[in-house]
Amino acid sequence: MGTPAIFIENLTKEFTSPSVFARDKITAVDKLTLSVEAGHVYGLLGPNGSGKSTTMKIVLGLVTPTSGRTCIFGRDSRDVESREAVGFLPENPYFYKFLTGSETLDFYGRLCGLGGKMLRDRSRELLALVGLEAAADRRVGGYSKGMLQRIGLAQALVQEPRLLVLDEPTAGVDPAGSHEIRNLILRLKQRGITVMLCSHLLSQVQEICDRIGIMNHGVLIREGALEDLISIENQTELTIENASAALLADLRARAEDAGARVLGAHKPQQNLERYFLEVTGERK
Amino acid sequence: MTAENSSTAATVHASAHKLFSIWRTWAIATNTFRDLVRQKVFYFMLVFALILIGTSLAMASLSFQGQLQTVMDVCLGAMSVFTMLLAVLSTAMLLPKDMEDRTLYTILAKPVARFEYLTGKLVGVTMILLVATLLMTAAFCVVLHYWQGREIENLQLTETAERAAAAIAKLKVGTFTSTLFGGIGIIFLRAIVCATLTLMLSCFATSWLFTVIVALMMILAGHLVPIARSVWQGPVGGAMDVPFHLAILVRLITVFVPDMQLFNVVDDIAVGASVSADVFLRVAGLGAGYVAIYLLVGYLFFAWREL
Amino acid sequence: MRTSPGSVEMKGRVSGILVLLAWGIVKFPVEARLERRMQDTRLGGYKPTASLRQQAGQAGFIAALGGLRAAVADMLWIRANIAWQDVQYGRMKLLFDTCTTMQPRRVSFWDISAWHMAWNGAAHVENTEKDPVARNAKMREFFKLGEDFLLRGIENNPDSWELYDRLGLLYRDKFKDVEKASAAYEEASQRPGHLDYTRRFAAYYLAEVPGREREAYARLMALFHESEHEWLLTLFRQIQKLEASLAIPDGQRIYHDILKLAATPGKEESAYTALTDLIKTGAREPSVLEATRALEQKMDIPAERRIKLPPHDQRPPE
Repeated sequence: MGTPAIFIENLTKEFTSPSVFARDKITAVDKLTLSVEAGHVYGLLGPNGSGKSTTMKIVLGLVTPTSGRTCIFGRDSRDVESREAVGFLPENPYFYKFLTGSETLDFYGRLCGLGGKMLRDRSRELLALVGLEAAADRRVGGYSKGMLQRIGLAQALVQEPRLLVLDEPTAGVDPAGSHEIRNLILRLKQRGITVMLCSHLLSQVQEICDRIGIMNHGVLIREGALEDLISIENQTELTIENASAALLADLRARAEDAGARVLGAHKPQQNLERYFLEVTGERK
Repeated sequence: MTAENSSTAATVHASAHKLFSIWRTWAIATNTFRDLVRQKVFYFMLVFALILIGTSLAMASLSFQGQLQTVMDVCLGAMSVFTMLLAVLSTAMLLPKDMEDRTLYTILAKPVARFEYLTGKLVGVTMILLVATLLMTAAFCVVLHYWQGREIENLQLTETAERAAAAIAKLKVGTFTSTLFGGIGIIFLRAIVCATLTLMLSCFATSWLFTVIVALMMILAGHLVPIARSVWQGPVGGAMDVPFHLAILVRLITVFVPDMQLFNVVDDIAVGASVSADVFLRVAGLGAGYVAIYLLVGYLFFAWREL
Repeated sequence: MRTSPGSVEMKGRVSGILVLLAWGIVKFPVEARLERRMQDTRLGGYKPTASLRQQAGQAGFIAALGGLRAAVADMLWIRANIAWQDVQYGRMKLLFDTCTTMQPRRVSFWDISAWHMAWNGAAHVENTEKDPVARNAKMREFFKLGEDFLLRGIENNPDSWELYDRLGLLYRDKFKDVEKASAAYEEASQRPGHLDYTRRFAAYYLAEVPGREREAYARLMALFHESEHEWLLTLFRQIQKLEASLAIPDGQRIYHDILKLAATPGKEESAYTALTDLIKTGAREPSVLEATRALEQKMDIPAERRIKLPPHDQRPPE
């Protein structure tokens, strides 16, 4: 096991209430410890206000922790150098409205030290990747929500980071676009890029994440491999094709004889997203 | 993504991260400049040009002598005020807008130090001030040239030959002088000081309106610094009995507020006073000092600011 | 390590304020020295002289104007001119004081203010005040106001020949003090950009000061010898007048120098001009008249252009 992509140790973040009269402390993150291994896709989940975004901002060095430490590939998050390897897509991203799509990528690329032909080629490539080639010369101020997400993803990828931090990457994106982003994340994973994402779309998280952490009121209440967490230990699913009614009755009887309980028998369903894509003909 | 392009990451990461990169700063500066240009800030200049021409025509028609001088005074005064206003208003919105739009997160999530961000913003505003000053100077020169011609005609009509000849010679030599353009340079420098002061204030302020009001108040108070200093030091030949609270205020003004009167040399240059090179250099040095200190203090305010 | 909420941010703010304080302490003497240097070179508004300190109440107003000081001075100047049209000399005086305080380096403000006071104001009194005693007293007051403007203007603009020139005119025409007039013109003639007549005027009025005629004569002769540009009728008249009153020996008088010039080849034209000027200003020496005629013949000057020489025993009226 090499250096983890993200290492969080005993992280606490307290905010002081802005009210002058009631100087209450709000604990946004409380003694959080977690580690994201390189090459994994990690989902950080939790209800609104659970501390996910605050944690992400601390990892990115945007917010100073009250205590504890965070590292990116072994480097303290507060070092500017640590962000050479990170791409970030914030929730509801906004960019300079007066820039076109390609100018936006050009700007962020230059911030990462890219330039010249290398940057131009990279911008073209990324615009093709996120499906914004046709809108490259249109001002970002005229982009739809979904287009903003895609240009945001492109700018996060401009310097080919080793770690991608995505906050609600598919928020406001239509199912086709959402599916493309999902596939992109999987392709990035195959290339060894680490992804940490926050999302409320649990079905998507379930499809792409290796590990998840669930936060509530600033505390990490569950953490581990996805498969392990959501498996119901004492239940087994069998999916049988072309089973006759007699076979099914026989299986039920055998299970009950063995002391097990058959909880239900029903036809499996494909998920709505797959169904939607099939009927609209947009599945690739 | 192709295999060849994956070498981009290796190339980028392999090169050592510089503590301060001119190219990152320049990227932010040019972006800021374009942002300000697209905010129609140059319409401001058009307003200036119209006021310039209109006011100079009106005042010159009311003043039966010294029209050229009146035009010069009004134009330089307008340039002083406009550049200061432009500096404050352009700069005050920069940080709050980036914070509100959350573009600041995407920028600082890149390997961009907060100091580079601030410097880039300041350089962008400086570029807009430079362009504005050049445009205003060009308009000023056109108007001045016209009035110089009118003044020469006037002198030929109203004065004796000897006096007219002497006055015209003096006029031709004394209108477009290097000292005049040096004075305009000082106006530009003062605007940069105002911009840096505003940037420093916006680094801890929570609203742009607060930034604008405080910046303008400090600039106004800056014109009272010589009086405050003379009260602190006592007038020539005597001590002054000043109430305690006033004494504290005077000391605070003198210490914390820039002396704007030192940048007001253009008022004397306009009436033909010569300014020695050492005065120019000292004023420029002081201005540079203010810019450096305000930028440093702005960084200290911003470095640990919760975003 | 645990830090209290906001303490890191507070640390930054406190550091910033400390840096501002340190800078404030460093910049104080630097700014004070620069202010003094600018005052020494008469920049930056006004010098705290006794005459301007009276107006210290306006100092805050002036300071607050910042870059608009000059433009506001111009607007007040226009108002002063309107007050003149309304014949409000009191208001004019106040506005002139403000304008000159705000723009002490503007020579024309001092010059024209003095003019309005000493000439226009005095003329107004002369035309309106019936009582002769009161009239003289008030006129004198206006003369003094004009003088005050010029002297303060000179204090702020010591290199201005124009203000000394106007002062000379004031002393000559209004105070009838030829000695002071001469001194003022002398000062004007030593300032850069002065016109040539200031040197002549300094000598002319010096010649009218009892006991200083010889000094004036020496100056005028120096001007004569300096350049033909100075050879004006008034110069010749004054020199000849002084030669008569000082009883300068005949052999040392100016006409001998001109006669020598007449005999110098190539200098006939200059000599002829000088001789005719001498004659126009009273010279009747036979040698002068003869030399003039000789030159006219030598230079082939047509009869109608020749100077009409008076008879030997007649002198033109003074």
